[in-house]
Amino acid sequence: MTDRIEEQSTGPVDVRRIELPALKDIYVHAGWESARSAVAPRSSGAADELPGHAVVARHPGASAQQLEQYRLLFGGEPFDGVHRRGLPSVLAHILAFPVQMGLLAEEAFPLPLMGMVHLSNAVEHRRRVTVDEPVQIKAWTEGLRPHRRGTQFDAVVEVLADAADVGRPAESEVLWRGVSTYLSRGAHLAGRPGDGEPERQPESSEREEFIPPAKTGQWRLGADMGRRYAAVSGDWNPIHISSVSARMLGMPRAIVHGMYAAGRMLEGREPDDAGHRWRITFEAPMRLPCTVAFHAERRGVDASAGQVVETFTGWDPRKGRRHFTGELASPA
Amino acid sequence: MTTIDRTSAQTRTVQTRDVVVIGGNRIPFARAHGAYATASNQDMLTSGLNGLVARFGLQGQRIGSVAGGAVMKHSKNFNLVRESVLGTPLDPATPATDVQMACATGMEAIGSLADKIRLGRIESGIGAGVDSISDAPIVVTDALRRILMEANRAKTPGQRLKALAKIRPGHLAPQAPGVNEPRTGMSMGEHMAVTAHAWGIGRQEQDELALASHQNLAAAYDDGFFDDLVTPFKGVQRDTNLRADSTLEKLGKLAPAFGRDLGEEATMTAANSTALTDGASAVLLGSADYAEAHDLPQLATFVDYEQAAVDFVDGAEGLLMAPAYAAARMLERNGLTFEDFEYFEIHEAFASTVLAQIAAWEDEEFCRGKLGLDAPLGRIDRSRLNIHGSSLAAGHPFAATGGRIVATLAKMLHGKPGKLGFISVCAAGGQGITAILEGR
Repeated sequence: MTDRIEEQSTGPVDVRRIELPALKDIYVHAGWESARSAVAPRSSGAADELPGHAVVARHPGASAQQLEQYRLLFGGEPFDGVHRRGLPSVLAHILAFPVQMGLLAEEAFPLPLMGMVHLSNAVEHRRRVTVDEPVQIKAWTEGLRPHRRGTQFDAVVEVLADAADVGRPAESEVLWRGVSTYLSRGAHLAGRPGDGEPERQPESSEREEFIPPAKTGQWRLGADMGRRYAAVSGDWNPIHISSVSARMLGMPRAIVHGMYAAGRMLEGREPDDAGHRWRITFEAPMRLPCTVAFHAERRGVDASAGQVVETFTGWDPRKGRRHFTGELASPA
Repeated sequence: MTTIDRTSAQTRTVQTRDVVVIGGNRIPFARAHGAYATASNQDMLTSGLNGLVARFGLQGQRIGSVAGGAVMKHSKNFNLVRESVLGTPLDPATPATDVQMACATGMEAIGSLADKIRLGRIESGIGAGVDSISDAPIVVTDALRRILMEANRAKTPGQRLKALAKIRPGHLAPQAPGVNEPRTGMSMGEHMAVTAHAWGIGRQEQDELALASHQNLAAAYDDGFFDDLVTPFKGVQRDTNLRADSTLEKLGKLAPAFGRDLGEEATMTAANSTALTDGASAVLLGSADYAEAHDLPQLATFVDYEQAAVDFVDGAEGLLMAPAYAAARMLERNGLTFEDFEYFEIHEAFASTVLAQIAAWEDEEFCRGKLGLDAPLGRIDRSRLNIHGSSLAAGHPFAATGGRIVATLAKMLHGKPGKLGFISVCAAGGQGITAILEGR
């Protein structure tokens, strides 16, 4: 898998302990900020540097009730505590997400939180995380770099064992590690290619034409899918909730959470005892309601790497536009 | 540790005996929301059984076992077959079992009864099936059911009110049974469209198969073939889906109904896909001794049957391709190839289902790679295929199809001792059944 996770940075030395943030407060604050900046825009929209610190918070772990709500949404096999005990990767992300958002909402963070576009996720789910297992969540940002439509960066999140030394966690104490890549549209790096001289990247029309693979599944996502995922994840970002709230942020309709697609893609395919890695890369947004055609393919066992690789594609069957591609590598 | 006494096991093998198909009866199949719109599964199954009882003089008889089922079943019909039996003149001491294996329900009911008869556990059995789209089991939403159950578990009126207060208007919408495969979200037709496309099954050949089905069924009715296989129900004499006057031109004009995202390459229409229908069927089986003792006909021997299932969820195999695998195992066990068969009854879930199975059996790579055979299973002569019509014309009330096919094929083989007939029925969930009948 070619993703940034290979680099395995351990993050800033400066680790600040925070209380587990409440997503609701973050969105209310960000919404207010966004409204305020619409009236009185920040000077130039120029981003300079990412915060030089990481944050860490304690988390009591996922409750059995939250796990069951997750299952009701994704319709997977029962978490019976014997044959299925591990939290799905996307539920681990759900636990960690408020800490990441807490960091992104800090004054020191240079890019506006609202309207940020989720480009991709790469996750290494190293060890099983179980229900009610207290963990620590560490988050930092890195890799601020230009994108043809603005500026992108990586939000790195680690789910650490409760007893881990957060500054220097042992290899075995990093249970889960995810890198989310975000795009801040229209924000440009000071002293780097900006509006005047955009970095040369192929435009969509020049991209390789997408030829849909054979459909192996179909997802019918109702208009309420954003609200349903929000109810399980706590991610009430207005772009996912309703057409009205999405329009306030410049979207024609609400779009489904990228992590909903990731959860659906992984459901029933993740090994319960973990040790797997996966990524998802988002393209055309899934505007609700919609039907997503899905293709899953087992690429066979890679004996040298000791893993089984499955690849995934989601697309709009009518317009033939690709929504996402994904990959899962599990221990063979 | 238990040890098996080989001698007695062998003795038991010797003791197995022929199972004969004595005859069948069904009601005409009717397009959904048509002639049988107000009939329930139990109404139709009872009528189908009554016809069988009348035809073979089974009044007052205790049958060894009646097995059958419905795919679309109300939860109140947990004993659908037993309740239906109690509505017939059969001895009330006749036990009954509900069976469910999607579209292969009827075949599984008949096959498992045949095994019981072969082993000497019972002397006679009735395999049956029924389905109604018009009286589908509509239920409340999962959310409303959870709330009602929570209210039911409440110990105080306050708790009960608290639970009931969670009800929202959206919870109240009635839920029809899902038509999609739960694990893929795709309907059977969409699955079949993918398989048909992968096998390169063309529009023209599908339309031709559909047309042949209608023409063959119409001819069979005109020849009186179904006179002793079908009993009228609610004034209906013939399957209402039958279009004797259809033409290739008419069929060729229809727009694709499934696989529309394949664009120009979409081939499956409403005419070369089976219509949703209501109906019931029943087949009487027995040991040869039973048939002789009761002066009953012995149309054919039920030789063998085989279940199969495939891994379709991530597209490793087509949803409706399980019969390809069942056939390979069943033919090998019996030392047979397709050359040995006189007639083929391949259930037409879709015209492309039949054509894809045939293509697979003729395909060297598939037979070697997927079926583990040394050579292809062989060609199926189209003049021996579904010669009295099949589901595209008759319709396909899911669980009733097995009974329709077994009775039809047994009658075709009657008077042709030693001639073999092959049955293939695919089913939801990537399952399927094949069977062998031999003329007597």
